[in-house]
Amino acid sequence: MNASLSVKWILGALAAMAMQVLFLRDIALANVAFCFIYLWVIIKAPMRTSTPLLLVVAFFSGWLIDVFYNTHGLHAFGTVLVALLRPTFFRILTPANGYDERSEISLAEMKWLWFFSFVGLMLVTHHLVLFLFEASDFALFGLSLLRAISSALLGILVFGLLEFFNRGQ
Amino acid sequence: MNQLFQFLGRQRTFLLFLVLEIVNLWAIFSYNSYQHTWYFNTTNQWAASILSTTQEVKKYHQLRIVNGQLAAENARLHTQILQLRSQQQPAGKIPYFASAALMNRYQAIACKVIDQTTQLSQNYLTIDKGLSDGIKPGMAVISSTGIVGKVMSSTANLSLIVSVLHTSNTVSAKLKSSGELGYMKWSGYQAEVGELMDVSKYKKVTKGDTVVTSDYNAVFPPNVPIGIVAKVGKEKDDTFHDIKVMLLTQFSTLQYVYVIKNRLAYQQAKLEQNKPKAE
Repeated sequence: MNASLSVKWILGALAAMAMQVLFLRDIALANVAFCFIYLWVIIKAPMRTSTPLLLVVAFFSGWLIDVFYNTHGLHAFGTVLVALLRPTFFRILTPANGYDERSEISLAEMKWLWFFSFVGLMLVTHHLVLFLFEASDFALFGLSLLRAISSALLGILVFGLLEFFNRGQ
Repeated sequence: MNQLFQFLGRQRTFLLFLVLEIVNLWAIFSYNSYQHTWYFNTTNQWAASILSTTQEVKKYHQLRIVNGQLAAENARLHTQILQLRSQQQPAGKIPYFASAALMNRYQAIACKVIDQTTQLSQNYLTIDKGLSDGIKPGMAVISSTGIVGKVMSSTANLSLIVSVLHTSNTVSAKLKSSGELGYMKWSGYQAEVGELMDVSKYKKVTKGDTVVTSDYNAVFPPNVPIGIVAKVGKEKDDTFHDIKVMLLTQFSTLQYVYVIKNRLAYQQAKLEQNKPKAE
Protein backbone atom coordinates (compact mmCIF):
# COMPACT_ATOMS: atom_id res chain seq x y z
CA MET A 1 0.00 0.00 0.00
CA ASN A 2 1.31 3.36 -0.94
CA ALA A 3 2.17 5.19 2.31
CA SER A 4 1.22 8.69 1.19
CA LEU A 5 -2.05 7.34 -0.15
CA SER A 6 -2.82 5.76 3.24
CA VAL A 7 -2.00 8.92 5.14
CA LYS A 8 -4.16 10.92 2.78
CA TRP A 9 -6.98 8.43 3.28
CA ILE A 10 -6.73 8.49 7.08
CA LEU A 11 -6.69 12.29 7.22
CA GLY A 12 -9.55 12.51 4.77
CA ALA A 13 -11.51 9.94 6.75
CA LEU A 14 -11.10 11.88 9.99
CA ALA A 15 -12.12 15.10 8.23
CA ALA A 16 -15.19 13.44 6.70
CA MET A 17 -16.27 11.97 10.03
CA ALA A 18 -15.81 15.27 11.82
CA MET A 19 -17.74 17.11 9.15
CA GLN A 20 -20.53 14.57 9.26
CA VAL A 21 -21.09 14.71 13.02
CA LEU A 22 -20.37 18.42 13.47
CA PHE A 23 -22.03 20.08 10.50
CA LEU A 24 -24.16 17.68 8.46
CA ARG A 25 -25.93 15.90 11.30
CA ASP A 26 -29.08 17.99 11.26
CA ILE A 27 -29.20 18.90 7.61
CA ALA A 28 -31.83 17.43 5.34
CA LEU A 29 -32.94 18.93 2.04
CA ALA A 30 -36.72 18.97 1.81
CA ASN A 31 -36.75 16.35 4.55
CA VAL A 32 -35.84 13.64 2.00
CA ALA A 33 -32.21 14.20 0.94
CA PHE A 34 -29.58 13.53 3.58
CA CYS A 35 -25.89 13.99 3.04
CA PHE A 36 -23.80 11.12 4.36
CA ILE A 37 -20.38 12.33 3.50
CA TYR A 38 -18.74 9.99 6.00
CA LEU A 39 -19.04 7.25 3.37
CA TRP A 40 -15.95 8.90 1.95
CA VAL A 41 -14.10 6.61 4.37
CA ILE A 42 -15.14 3.50 2.47
CA ILE A 43 -15.53 4.92 -1.01
CA LYS A 44 -12.13 6.53 -1.11
CA ALA A 45 -10.20 3.75 0.63
CA PRO A 46 -7.17 2.80 -1.46
CA MET A 47 -7.94 0.03 -3.93
CA ARG A 48 -5.55 -2.42 -2.34
CA THR A 49 -7.04 -2.15 1.12
CA SER A 50 -7.82 -5.69 2.26
CA THR A 51 -11.51 -6.42 2.75
CA PRO A 52 -11.21 -7.55 6.42
CA LEU A 53 -9.46 -4.29 7.30
CA LEU A 54 -12.08 -2.32 5.40
CA LEU A 55 -14.85 -4.24 7.21
CA VAL A 56 -13.42 -3.32 10.58
CA VAL A 57 -12.92 0.31 9.55
CA ALA A 58 -16.46 0.43 8.17
CA PHE A 59 -17.81 -1.07 11.36
CA PHE A 60 -16.13 1.46 13.64
CA SER A 61 -16.87 4.49 11.48
CA GLY A 62 -20.52 3.43 11.14
CA TRP A 63 -20.72 2.75 14.85
CA LEU A 64 -19.31 6.19 15.64
CA ILE A 65 -21.86 7.85 13.37
CA ASP A 66 -24.57 5.79 15.06
CA VAL A 67 -23.47 7.08 18.44
CA PHE A 68 -23.93 10.65 17.25
CA TYR A 69 -27.13 9.97 15.31
CA ASN A 70 -28.62 7.91 18.13
CA THR A 71 -29.40 5.07 15.69
CA HIS A 72 -27.45 2.25 17.25
CA GLY A 73 -26.30 -0.26 14.67
CA LEU A 74 -28.22 1.10 11.67
CA HIS A 75 -25.40 3.02 9.96
CA ALA A 76 -22.84 0.39 10.93
CA PHE A 77 -25.01 -2.29 9.31
CA GLY A 78 -25.04 -0.37 6.03
CA THR A 79 -21.36 0.54 6.02
CA VAL A 80 -20.20 -3.01 6.78
CA LEU A 81 -22.43 -4.25 3.96
CA VAL A 82 -21.05 -1.83 1.36
CA ALA A 83 -17.50 -2.56 2.58
CA LEU A 84 -18.08 -6.23 1.77
CA LEU A 85 -19.69 -5.42 -1.59
CA ARG A 86 -16.96 -2.97 -2.66
CA PRO A 87 -14.74 -5.60 -4.36
CA THR A 88 -17.82 -6.98 -6.12
CA PHE A 89 -18.67 -3.53 -7.48
CA PHE A 90 -15.10 -3.23 -8.71
CA ARG A 91 -15.44 -6.50 -10.56
CA ILE A 92 -18.75 -5.44 -12.12
CA LEU A 93 -17.53 -2.04 -13.24
CA THR A 94 -13.89 -2.54 -14.19
CA PRO A 95 -13.41 -2.33 -17.95
CA ALA A 96 -11.76 -5.16 -19.90
CA ASN A 97 -8.23 -3.73 -19.69
CA GLY A 98 -8.84 -2.95 -16.00
CA TYR A 99 -7.48 -0.50 -13.50
CA ASP A 100 -4.41 -1.73 -11.73
CA GLU A 101 -4.54 -2.00 -8.00
CA ARG A 102 -2.09 0.71 -7.11
CA SER A 103 -4.41 3.49 -8.09
CA GLU A 104 -6.58 5.52 -5.78
CA ILE A 105 -10.22 6.06 -6.54
CA SER A 106 -10.57 9.54 -7.98
CA LEU A 107 -12.07 11.41 -10.85
CA ALA A 108 -8.55 12.40 -11.87
CA GLU A 109 -7.44 8.84 -12.53
CA MET A 110 -10.64 7.19 -13.64
CA LYS A 111 -13.23 7.76 -16.27
CA TRP A 112 -16.03 9.92 -14.95
CA LEU A 113 -18.66 7.32 -15.90
CA TRP A 114 -16.84 4.63 -13.92
CA PHE A 115 -16.32 6.90 -10.93
CA PHE A 116 -19.92 8.08 -10.71
CA SER A 117 -21.32 4.58 -11.27
CA PHE A 118 -19.16 3.27 -8.46
CA VAL A 119 -20.07 6.09 -6.06
CA GLY A 120 -23.72 5.78 -7.05
CA LEU A 121 -23.81 2.01 -6.43
CA MET A 122 -22.14 2.39 -3.04
CA LEU A 123 -24.43 5.20 -1.96
CA VAL A 124 -27.66 3.64 -3.21
CA THR A 125 -26.89 0.30 -1.56
CA HIS A 126 -26.00 1.91 1.72
CA HIS A 127 -28.93 4.32 1.74
CA LEU A 128 -31.48 1.68 0.75
CA VAL A 129 -30.42 -0.59 3.59
CA LEU A 130 -30.25 2.31 6.00
CA PHE A 131 -33.63 3.90 5.24
CA LEU A 132 -35.57 0.66 4.81
CA PHE A 133 -34.18 -0.65 8.05
CA GLU A 134 -34.83 2.62 9.80
CA ALA A 135 -38.48 2.61 8.73
CA SER A 136 -38.97 -1.14 9.33
CA ASP A 137 -42.44 -0.73 7.90
CA PHE A 138 -43.78 -1.60 4.46
CA ALA A 139 -46.27 1.25 4.70
CA LEU A 140 -43.29 3.61 4.54
CA PHE A 141 -41.62 1.76 1.67
CA GLY A 142 -42.25 4.55 -0.85
CA LEU A 143 -40.91 7.26 1.41
CA SER A 144 -37.83 5.20 2.29
CA LEU A 145 -37.16 4.60 -1.40
CA LEU A 146 -37.52 8.30 -2.18
CA ARG A 147 -35.15 9.20 0.64
CA ALA A 148 -32.58 6.64 -0.46
CA ILE A 149 -32.61 7.77 -4.10
CA SER A 150 -32.59 11.51 -3.39
CA SER A 151 -29.86 11.13 -0.76
CA ALA A 152 -27.79 9.10 -3.20
CA LEU A 153 -28.20 11.80 -5.89
CA LEU A 154 -27.16 14.48 -3.43
CA GLY A 155 -24.21 12.30 -2.40
CA ILE A 156 -23.07 11.89 -6.03
CA LEU A 157 -23.21 15.67 -6.47
CA VAL A 158 -21.20 16.29 -3.29
CA PHE A 159 -18.56 13.65 -4.15
CA GLY A 160 -18.26 15.12 -7.63
CA LEU A 161 -17.67 18.59 -6.18
CA LEU A 162 -15.05 17.23 -3.78
CA GLU A 163 -13.22 15.60 -6.69
CA PHE A 164 -13.26 18.81 -8.67
CA PHE A 165 -11.64 20.61 -5.73
CA ASN A 166 -9.03 17.83 -5.49
CA ARG A 167 -8.25 18.07 -9.17
CA GLY A 168 -7.86 21.82 -8.87
CA GLN A 169 -5.09 21.38 -6.32
CA MET B 1 -3.26 -26.10 -1.36
CA ASN B 2 -2.77 -22.48 -2.21
CA GLN B 3 -6.30 -22.34 -3.54
CA LEU B 4 -7.56 -23.85 -0.30
CA PHE B 5 -5.85 -21.12 1.69
CA GLN B 6 -7.27 -18.49 -0.60
CA PHE B 7 -10.69 -20.02 -0.17
CA LEU B 8 -10.29 -20.01 3.61
CA GLY B 9 -9.11 -16.40 3.44
CA ARG B 10 -12.23 -15.40 1.57
CA GLN B 11 -14.33 -17.28 4.08
CA ARG B 12 -12.54 -15.46 6.88
CA THR B 13 -13.58 -12.16 5.38
CA PHE B 14 -17.13 -13.31 5.09
CA LEU B 15 -17.12 -14.64 8.65
CA LEU B 16 -15.83 -11.29 9.86
CA PHE B 17 -18.62 -9.61 7.89
CA LEU B 18 -21.20 -11.89 9.49
CA VAL B 19 -19.91 -11.26 12.99
CA LEU B 20 -19.92 -7.49 12.50
CA GLU B 21 -23.42 -7.50 11.01
CA ILE B 22 -24.74 -9.65 13.82
CA VAL B 23 -23.32 -7.18 16.32
CA ASN B 24 -25.07 -4.41 14.37
CA LEU B 25 -28.37 -6.25 14.25
CA TRP B 26 -28.17 -6.91 17.94
CA ALA B 27 -27.55 -3.20 18.52
CA ILE B 28 -30.39 -2.20 16.20
CA PHE B 29 -32.94 -4.40 17.92
CA SER B 30 -31.87 -3.82 21.47
CA TYR B 31 -31.10 -0.09 21.53
CA ASN B 32 -33.50 1.47 19.00
CA SER B 33 -36.89 1.67 20.63
CA TYR B 34 -38.88 1.48 17.38
CA GLN B 35 -37.07 -1.58 16.03
CA HIS B 36 -37.06 -3.11 19.47
CA THR B 37 -40.83 -2.76 19.72
CA TRP B 38 -41.28 -4.03 16.18
CA TYR B 39 -39.17 -7.09 16.90
CA PHE B 40 -40.97 -7.70 20.16
CA ASN B 41 -44.44 -7.40 18.59
CA THR B 42 -43.63 -9.49 15.51
CA THR B 43 -42.06 -12.34 17.40
CA ASN B 44 -44.86 -12.19 19.92
CA GLN B 45 -47.38 -12.50 17.11
CA TRP B 46 -45.64 -15.52 15.62
CA ALA B 47 -45.35 -17.17 18.96
CA ALA B 48 -48.98 -16.44 19.71
CA SER B 49 -50.22 -17.85 16.41
CA ILE B 50 -48.16 -21.01 16.85
CA LEU B 51 -49.34 -21.42 20.42
CA SER B 52 -52.96 -20.89 19.45
CA THR B 53 -52.69 -23.53 16.73
CA THR B 54 -51.29 -25.96 19.28
CA GLN B 55 -54.09 -25.01 21.59
CA GLU B 56 -56.67 -25.76 18.87
CA VAL B 57 -55.21 -29.23 18.35
CA LYS B 58 -55.14 -29.88 22.07
CA LYS B 59 -58.72 -28.66 22.42
CA TYR B 60 -59.85 -31.08 19.74
CA HIS B 61 -58.30 -33.97 21.62
CA GLN B 62 -59.92 -32.83 24.83
CA LEU B 63 -63.44 -32.79 23.32
CA ARG B 64 -64.27 -36.18 24.76
CA ILE B 65 -63.38 -35.06 28.27
CA VAL B 66 -65.19 -31.77 27.78
CA ASN B 67 -68.32 -33.65 26.65
CA GLY B 68 -68.23 -35.68 29.82
CA GLN B 69 -67.80 -32.57 31.92
CA LEU B 70 -70.70 -30.85 30.17
CA ALA B 71 -72.90 -33.86 30.71
CA ALA B 72 -72.06 -33.83 34.41
CA GLU B 73 -72.85 -30.13 34.56
CA ASN B 74 -76.15 -30.72 32.78
CA ALA B 75 -76.99 -33.38 35.33
CA ARG B 76 -76.41 -30.87 38.11
CA LEU B 77 -78.57 -28.30 36.34
CA HIS B 78 -81.35 -30.83 35.79
CA THR B 79 -81.35 -31.55 39.49
CA GLN B 80 -81.71 -27.85 40.17
CA ILE B 81 -84.51 -27.40 37.64
CA LEU B 82 -86.47 -30.25 39.14
CA GLN B 83 -85.92 -28.78 42.58
CA LEU B 84 -87.20 -25.38 41.50
CA ARG B 85 -90.18 -26.88 39.72
CA SER B 86 -91.35 -28.73 42.79
CA GLN B 87 -91.01 -25.47 44.69
CA GLN B 88 -93.27 -23.66 42.26
CA GLN B 89 -96.69 -22.58 43.36
CA PRO B 90 -99.49 -24.38 41.54
CA ALA B 91 -101.97 -22.33 39.52
CA GLY B 92 -104.54 -22.19 42.34
CA LYS B 93 -104.49 -19.67 45.14
CA ILE B 94 -104.13 -22.20 47.92
CA PRO B 95 -100.93 -21.48 49.81
CA TYR B 96 -98.60 -24.35 49.11
CA PHE B 97 -95.12 -25.01 50.36
CA ALA B 98 -93.12 -27.99 49.27
CA SER B 99 -91.24 -29.67 52.09
CA ALA B 100 -87.49 -29.89 51.81
CA ALA B 101 -87.67 -33.64 51.29
CA LEU B 102 -90.12 -33.17 48.44
CA MET B 103 -88.11 -30.38 46.90
CA ASN B 104 -84.90 -32.33 46.90
CA ARG B 105 -86.32 -35.63 45.90
CA TYR B 106 -84.94 -35.66 42.38
CA GLN B 107 -81.30 -36.00 41.51
CA ALA B 108 -79.89 -36.38 37.99
CA ILE B 109 -76.96 -38.66 37.16
CA ALA B 110 -75.20 -38.22 33.81
CA CYS B 111 -74.62 -41.49 31.91
CA LYS B 112 -73.21 -42.36 28.54
CA VAL B 113 -75.21 -44.47 26.11
CA ILE B 114 -73.08 -47.43 25.05
CA ASP B 115 -75.62 -49.35 23.03
CA GLN B 116 -79.13 -48.76 21.73
CA THR B 117 -81.66 -49.71 19.09
CA THR B 118 -84.36 -47.56 17.51
CA GLN B 119 -85.52 -49.71 14.62
CA LEU B 120 -87.23 -52.57 16.47
CA SER B 121 -90.69 -52.47 18.01
CA GLN B 122 -89.20 -53.14 21.45
CA ASN B 123 -86.19 -50.89 21.86
CA TYR B 124 -83.67 -50.81 24.70
CA LEU B 125 -80.62 -48.75 25.62
CA THR B 126 -77.57 -49.76 27.60
CA ILE B 127 -75.81 -47.12 29.71
CA ASP B 128 -72.45 -47.09 31.46
CA LYS B 129 -73.61 -46.77 35.08
CA GLY B 130 -75.26 -49.21 37.40
CA LEU B 131 -75.98 -50.18 41.00
CA SER B 132 -72.65 -48.91 42.26
CA ASP B 133 -73.56 -45.43 40.98
CA GLY B 134 -76.91 -45.51 42.75
CA ILE B 135 -79.00 -46.52 39.75
CA LYS B 136 -81.85 -48.90 40.45
CA PRO B 137 -84.55 -50.41 38.24
CA GLY B 138 -87.62 -48.22 37.89
CA MET B 139 -85.82 -44.89 37.68
CA ALA B 140 -86.65 -42.39 34.98
CA VAL B 141 -84.20 -41.61 32.19
CA ILE B 142 -84.30 -38.32 30.29
CA SER B 143 -82.09 -36.58 27.75
CA SER B 144 -81.31 -32.91 27.51
CA THR B 145 -84.31 -32.46 25.21
CA GLY B 146 -86.95 -34.93 26.40
CA ILE B 147 -87.74 -38.26 27.99
CA VAL B 148 -85.86 -41.43 27.10
CA GLY B 149 -87.29 -44.30 29.12
CA LYS B 150 -86.95 -46.08 32.42
CA VAL B 151 -84.35 -48.34 33.96
CA MET B 152 -85.35 -51.97 33.63
CA SER B 153 -82.45 -53.76 35.23
CA SER B 154 -79.01 -52.91 36.55
CA THR B 155 -75.78 -54.72 37.15
CA ALA B 156 -72.95 -53.26 39.23
CA ASN B 157 -71.70 -50.99 36.44
CA LEU B 158 -74.25 -51.10 33.62
CA SER B 159 -77.97 -50.62 33.27
CA LEU B 160 -80.57 -51.59 30.70
CA ILE B 161 -83.21 -49.02 29.86
CA VAL B 162 -86.60 -49.63 28.33
CA SER B 163 -86.86 -46.92 25.74
CA VAL B 164 -90.09 -45.00 25.25
CA LEU B 165 -89.77 -46.50 21.80
CA HIS B 166 -91.25 -49.70 23.21
CA THR B 167 -94.81 -50.67 22.44
CA SER B 168 -95.67 -51.64 26.00
CA ASN B 169 -93.98 -48.67 27.68
CA THR B 170 -96.53 -45.97 28.38
CA VAL B 171 -95.91 -42.64 30.05
CA SER B 172 -98.49 -40.56 31.88
CA ALA B 173 -98.58 -37.23 30.04
CA LYS B 174 -100.44 -33.96 29.85
CA LEU B 175 -100.78 -31.05 27.48
CA LYS B 176 -98.78 -28.20 28.82
CA SER B 177 -101.17 -25.44 27.79
CA SER B 178 -104.47 -26.93 28.97
CA GLY B 179 -103.21 -29.43 31.56
CA GLU B 180 -105.33 -32.11 29.87
CA LEU B 181 -104.24 -35.59 30.97
CA GLY B 182 -103.56 -38.63 28.85
CA TYR B 183 -100.82 -41.12 28.25
CA MET B 184 -98.11 -41.40 25.68
CA LYS B 185 -97.59 -44.58 23.76
CA TRP B 186 -95.27 -45.39 20.94
CA SER B 187 -96.94 -46.57 17.78
CA GLY B 188 -94.11 -49.00 17.05
CA TYR B 189 -92.60 -48.02 13.76
CA GLN B 190 -91.33 -44.44 13.62
CA ALA B 191 -88.60 -43.36 16.05
CA GLU B 192 -89.82 -39.77 15.94
CA VAL B 193 -93.54 -40.21 16.43
CA GLY B 194 -95.61 -41.23 19.46
CA GLU B 195 -99.33 -41.13 20.20
CA LEU B 196 -101.14 -39.31 22.97
CA MET B 197 -104.10 -41.39 24.09
CA ASP B 198 -107.14 -40.78 26.27
CA VAL B 199 -107.57 -37.08 25.59
CA SER B 200 -111.27 -36.37 25.42
CA LYS B 201 -112.62 -35.25 22.07
CA TYR B 202 -114.44 -32.39 23.73
CA LYS B 203 -111.24 -30.72 24.85
CA LYS B 204 -109.47 -28.34 22.60
CA VAL B 205 -106.13 -29.60 21.25
CA THR B 206 -104.12 -27.58 18.80
CA LYS B 207 -101.18 -28.48 16.65
CA GLY B 208 -97.92 -27.29 18.24
CA ASP B 209 -98.96 -27.85 21.87
CA THR B 210 -96.18 -29.20 24.04
CA VAL B 211 -96.73 -32.55 25.70
CA VAL B 212 -95.01 -33.01 29.07
CA THR B 213 -95.01 -35.66 31.75
CA SER B 214 -97.91 -35.35 34.16
CA ASP B 215 -97.84 -34.77 37.89
CA TYR B 216 -99.28 -38.22 38.54
CA ASN B 217 -96.36 -40.02 37.08
CA ALA B 218 -94.85 -42.79 39.15
CA VAL B 219 -91.60 -42.75 37.22
CA PHE B 220 -90.88 -39.36 35.68
CA PRO B 221 -90.69 -36.04 37.44
CA PRO B 222 -93.51 -33.73 36.39
CA ASN B 223 -93.21 -31.34 33.44
CA VAL B 224 -90.39 -33.05 31.59
CA PRO B 225 -90.93 -32.38 27.86
CA ILE B 226 -92.02 -35.33 25.77
CA GLY B 227 -92.91 -33.93 22.39
CA ILE B 228 -94.91 -31.52 20.26
CA VAL B 229 -98.41 -32.20 18.95
CA ALA B 230 -97.90 -32.77 15.23
CA LYS B 231 -101.32 -33.88 14.07
CA VAL B 232 -104.78 -34.02 15.57
CA GLY B 233 -106.91 -36.71 13.96
CA LYS B 234 -110.67 -36.45 13.39
CA GLU B 235 -112.41 -39.73 14.00
CA LYS B 236 -116.12 -38.99 14.32
CA ASP B 237 -117.26 -42.07 16.22
CA ASP B 238 -114.44 -42.12 18.74
CA THR B 239 -114.53 -40.63 22.24
CA PHE B 240 -110.92 -39.54 22.16
CA HIS B 241 -108.70 -37.42 19.99
CA ASP B 242 -106.22 -39.18 17.75
CA ILE B 243 -103.07 -37.18 18.51
CA LYS B 244 -99.67 -37.75 16.92
CA VAL B 245 -96.76 -36.40 18.93
CA MET B 246 -93.36 -35.54 17.52
CA LEU B 247 -90.89 -36.74 20.16
CA LEU B 248 -88.31 -34.22 21.30
CA THR B 249 -85.54 -36.68 22.11
CA GLN B 250 -83.27 -37.38 19.15
CA PHE B 251 -82.80 -41.09 19.66
CA SER B 252 -80.60 -41.60 16.64
CA THR B 253 -77.89 -39.27 17.95
CA LEU B 254 -78.30 -39.86 21.66
CA GLN B 255 -74.97 -39.89 23.52
CA TYR B 256 -75.60 -38.79 27.08
CA VAL B 257 -78.69 -39.39 29.19
CA TYR B 258 -79.61 -38.47 32.74
CA VAL B 259 -81.00 -40.99 35.15
CA ILE B 260 -83.37 -39.33 37.59
CA LYS B 261 -83.14 -40.68 41.05
CA ASN B 262 -86.37 -40.17 43.02
CA ARG B 263 -85.56 -40.27 46.73
CA LEU B 264 -89.22 -40.60 47.70
CA ALA B 265 -90.04 -43.38 45.23
CA TYR B 266 -89.73 -46.09 47.85
CA GLN B 267 -91.99 -44.25 50.30
CA GLN B 268 -94.58 -43.67 47.62
CA ALA B 269 -94.56 -47.26 46.46
CA LYS B 270 -94.84 -48.56 50.01
CA LEU B 271 -97.67 -46.18 50.77
CA GLU B 272 -99.65 -47.01 47.68
CA GLN B 273 -99.17 -50.73 48.19
CA ASN B 274 -101.53 -50.54 51.10
CA LYS B 275 -104.41 -49.14 49.08
CA PRO B 276 -107.48 -51.24 49.70
CA LYS B 277 -108.19 -53.32 46.66
CA ALA B 278 -111.49 -52.78 44.97
CA GLU B 279 -113.83 -55.70 45.43
